[in-house]
Amino acid sequence: MSLRVLNPNAEVLNKSAALHMNINAAKGLQDVLKSNLGPKGTIKMLVGGAGDIKLTKDGNTLLKEMQIQNPTAIMIARTAVAQDDISGDGTTSTVIFIGELMKQAERCIDEGMHPRVVVDGFEIAKRATLEFLEKFKTRVVMGDGPDREMLKMVARTTLRTKLYESLADQLTDIVVNAVLCIRKPEEAIDLFMVEIMHMRHKFDVDTRLVEGLVLDHGSRHPDMKRRAENCHILTCNVSLEYEKSEINSGFFYSNAEQREAMVAAERRSVDERVKKIIALKNKVCKGDENFVIINQKGIDPPSLDLLARAGIVALRRAKRRNMERLVLACGGEAVNSVDDLAPDCLGWAGLVYEHVLGEEKYTFVENVKHPNSCTILIKGPNDHTIAQIKDAVRDGLRSVKNTIEDEAVVRGAGAFEVAARQHLVNQVKKTVKGRAQLGVQAFADALLIVPKTLAENSGLDTQDVIISLTGEHDNGNVVGLNQHTGDPIDPQMEGIFDNYAVKRQIINSGPVIASQLLLVDEVIRAGRNMRKPT
Amino acid sequence: MKELVTFQVGSYANFIGSHFWNFQDELLGLSEDPQSNLAFKNQNLDMDALYRTGETQQGIPTYTPRLISVDFQGSLGSMNKHGTLYNQTSSHSSSIPTWTGNVSTQKSEPYKKNLFLKRLYDEGKEIVGDSQSEILDTDVVNSLEDGVDFWTDYSKVHYHPQSLFELNGSWINSQDFNNFGIGRNALSEGLQGDEINERFRFFIEECDHVQGIQFIVDDSGGFSGVGASILENIADDYTNVPVLLYSVHGPDSFQNPKNRKQNISSKLHDAVSFSALSSLCKLIIPIGLPSLSESGFCKYLNIQDKKMYHSSAVYASAIHSISLPFRMNRIGPSGESLSEYGAMDLYEGVQMLVGQGRQNTVAILDAVMPVPSLTGRVFKQSLLESFQPLTPETKHDVEDLQAIESVVVQGVLGSGLIKSCVIDAAYGCVRYMRQGWTRPDKLFRAIFDDNDEKGVHEASLSEVREAVEAAYEKATTRPRFSHLSVSRCPIPIPLPFPLIFGTHVGKRGEILSQPESESESESHDVESVPMAARLRSSTAILPFLENKLGNIRKFGLERGSIGAEVLRNWGFGREEVEEIGENYSKLVLALDPHQDYSSDSD
Repeated sequence: MSLRVLNPNAEVLNKSAALHMNINAAKGLQDVLKSNLGPKGTIKMLVGGAGDIKLTKDGNTLLKEMQIQNPTAIMIARTAVAQDDISGDGTTSTVIFIGELMKQAERCIDEGMHPRVVVDGFEIAKRATLEFLEKFKTRVVMGDGPDREMLKMVARTTLRTKLYESLADQLTDIVVNAVLCIRKPEEAIDLFMVEIMHMRHKFDVDTRLVEGLVLDHGSRHPDMKRRAENCHILTCNVSLEYEKSEINSGFFYSNAEQREAMVAAERRSVDERVKKIIALKNKVCKGDENFVIINQKGIDPPSLDLLARAGIVALRRAKRRNMERLVLACGGEAVNSVDDLAPDCLGWAGLVYEHVLGEEKYTFVENVKHPNSCTILIKGPNDHTIAQIKDAVRDGLRSVKNTIEDEAVVRGAGAFEVAARQHLVNQVKKTVKGRAQLGVQAFADALLIVPKTLAENSGLDTQDVIISLTGEHDNGNVVGLNQHTGDPIDPQMEGIFDNYAVKRQIINSGPVIASQLLLVDEVIRAGRNMRKPT
Repeated sequence: MKELVTFQVGSYANFIGSHFWNFQDELLGLSEDPQSNLAFKNQNLDMDALYRTGETQQGIPTYTPRLISVDFQGSLGSMNKHGTLYNQTSSHSSSIPTWTGNVSTQKSEPYKKNLFLKRLYDEGKEIVGDSQSEILDTDVVNSLEDGVDFWTDYSKVHYHPQSLFELNGSWINSQDFNNFGIGRNALSEGLQGDEINERFRFFIEECDHVQGIQFIVDDSGGFSGVGASILENIADDYTNVPVLLYSVHGPDSFQNPKNRKQNISSKLHDAVSFSALSSLCKLIIPIGLPSLSESGFCKYLNIQDKKMYHSSAVYASAIHSISLPFRMNRIGPSGESLSEYGAMDLYEGVQMLVGQGRQNTVAILDAVMPVPSLTGRVFKQSLLESFQPLTPETKHDVEDLQAIESVVVQGVLGSGLIKSCVIDAAYGCVRYMRQGWTRPDKLFRAIFDDNDEKGVHEASLSEVREAVEAAYEKATTRPRFSHLSVSRCPIPIPLPFPLIFGTHVGKRGEILSQPESESESESHDVESVPMAARLRSSTAILPFLENKLGNIRKFGLERGSIGAEVLRNWGFGREEVEEIGENYSKLVLALDPHQDYSSDSD
């Protein structure tokens, strides 16, 4: 209470009050997210004050939308978001796992245990669980030809928790093919090479994978072709617009002729650049071949005019990232100066065409030869549907990427949690001496929250489910939960697999944050900022 | 076609922007309205510079500002962030096509629309009968006086869905979002920076010849950090697009901080943010007085400093004037317009102030509102003297022979001078004959009617030019170089405009010797106001820079100072702080080469 002496305005919560504040916050957050979990979870529709709609089933999105004020809840939420940044999924699981750890710890502490002892138990249990995970995981060999079926199963498991089944299955193929398309042997997968483009048009089931690229702009000249076949693609970063010279010429010429002459001289250098491109076109194009320029810099109307007259299709101000993607999709290389122009800089696409929706134009670059970049084109009737599918696709892509990089998966549907729990209770606990045993027990019970919540969300009786699952595990069968019937199933047979990285991250970060919160024995509010004006 | 892209970053910037676009919307309306004043009808401004034409998916043409506005989540009030034009019918909203399982809906209370917005939305619909429910102008104006919570509360403009961006500050509440460091990190969270870049690209891709970016940033809080990272991205991708930056300071940010630590933190923030922003643009104009109402600017205005709605209206008027030359149509080298003079593009404007001689990139904004009319000698003597700075911490009565000035005068009244009558008449003749009028008596009648408004006229261009030139001749200190732009078109006052005009201001912004009527708040009736604004590159800005340099030295660089840790938390190491200090020294040295400000002179 020495703080009181220093600052009489400070508010202090001590021992049990501080602890319960933390525990309640964790439980509160758990309650909010609990109903999201699993393929039978509840989707949340958020309607804002101005009538804007947001649909989400993703813990990460939901946490970001909620204006969380409680400092403990913020800590947990940050852990969950970090989970998403690292592994791309598992935010809901992290939050409910932390909540459950706190809840189990509360029981022990109420019985008179010191939080320190519980935390020690958590630490032992965590290490043991991670070791167990190493043994439990299913190895997937990623040779030159990855196991497409396995990747599909992982992606499907993620997507089915976020979208209805047939759409999820459709997207499963899309995300797996997309990742395999950009994958290069011996290199890390860069998911940015998958462009995600959306169109407010038609329906969600019209979402498709474009092997090639879709750009969100079109040519800006009425005479350019809207559809061209057999195209040479020039990817460049060359300014084709009239630029102001650095000296402020505007104030130094004395008559109109001088001004004209100056403008003409500046214009000429732009024209020369355009002419070099046209010369290249004439050199490489034979017969009915076409020439398309995709430029990162601007192209002004006179340049567009010259290009159009030469029969070239030109797009200006392309995304910086598309420069990289284009080269990967069509071949060739990006050119930064017209002096570097050469026929082998050019890429190739079988078909380039434009699609117009109101003021929005899309340019499709398709039928490329060896695509190393592709586009997932999401369609939907309205913005919030598109946004939700987009989130799901991102998660799906991450899960496929994780699988390839981990070279392992974990059997899902709650199988891992039940198995780990039985391992902790039956084997690890016996090796621990003293009261830390109870900490291990608490940790083990907390793991069960995942199958419990899955059962609860499916409208099943949680007790029955847990008993039948643990029973099967004690008999040596690794089983998960069938969401429809509540019976034990073999996740391997059903093709339910979770990411190894996601599970490991949950087991790693959950206990850390829970331990930190448990060891808090004093909460001090001092200083003006922290107290809300009432 | 010379397009401008506008950015508004931060809440006060959006308050100003909202007024700015209201003026533009009013101008657009008036230029098509057959009832309106000739000055509006004959204006020759190129609105395409600020606006873009588009088309919805249903094929309905749209005309919306080429604007990107960045603000907090929830700062849009009752306005939908997708705007109103591009919305499809919300028939899908009840069903969720992507999920067959359970749905739980969290609905937040819809924001109540104020009287003004209610009427605005009702105008779109056909109201059948019931004239009782009609909302009167005065009610609307008064209700806005009583309370404006969001900048959208008084906005009458339709925005493009790409225009309004809400910063997802998931764990930032607005009180803690008060320093440069937080703002700079906010954009990196969850690809928000990329999203803004994409939107900017959307607007700039369709520009044939972009002349530049006008960037209004609220630099009193974290939004200056947001603005700086947006500008960094722009500088990377669009090196040749000049940026004109208004760094605005809201009135509430001048409140005295509660304790010493906050005080230091806010001083450091100002210093750091100004330094960062100034290095990312071609010309920076600090705007925002600590107390506008007490400044000399408010001779004829009643402004309540507490209301952002009030002060932002003044700054928006000044910005509107400054941006006029960028939008004037150029009519070849020889042809002269009757309603505008002195067109230049943003690049020329900036180069003129910066490029000659001193390379000083900080300009002072001065303005007069309303401008006294051209009658007699008053104007000639007083226009230059009546300019009052809207930039804080400037020196008065500076004798700076190297100064460069760019003056914009719009809609000055010339109280019935014959010259302007003749010009108006000639203009009217041409216009009516184009419309197919042939009978001379009718023609003259019509022209006469047009001009017979209390005998008050916008002065002609040549009159204004002569007057301003004469004023410069007489002035005691003349700048090295000055540029003048004149428009005959005054600022139109839209309905949602604060009641800031005093009783001495007449219907068309003329200054009356006696109050027009006894009642206090008779200022509803002001329809338009003549305005003059000036950008000045002068040593008068030195106190502003020196204060900041002093603060960064005192709190950031001195050994063992408290500020060093604050800065470290914002992500500035000692070297970077030193760089900031040097940046200021450079700015100061550009203006005042005799003083020794180099950082090693301890």
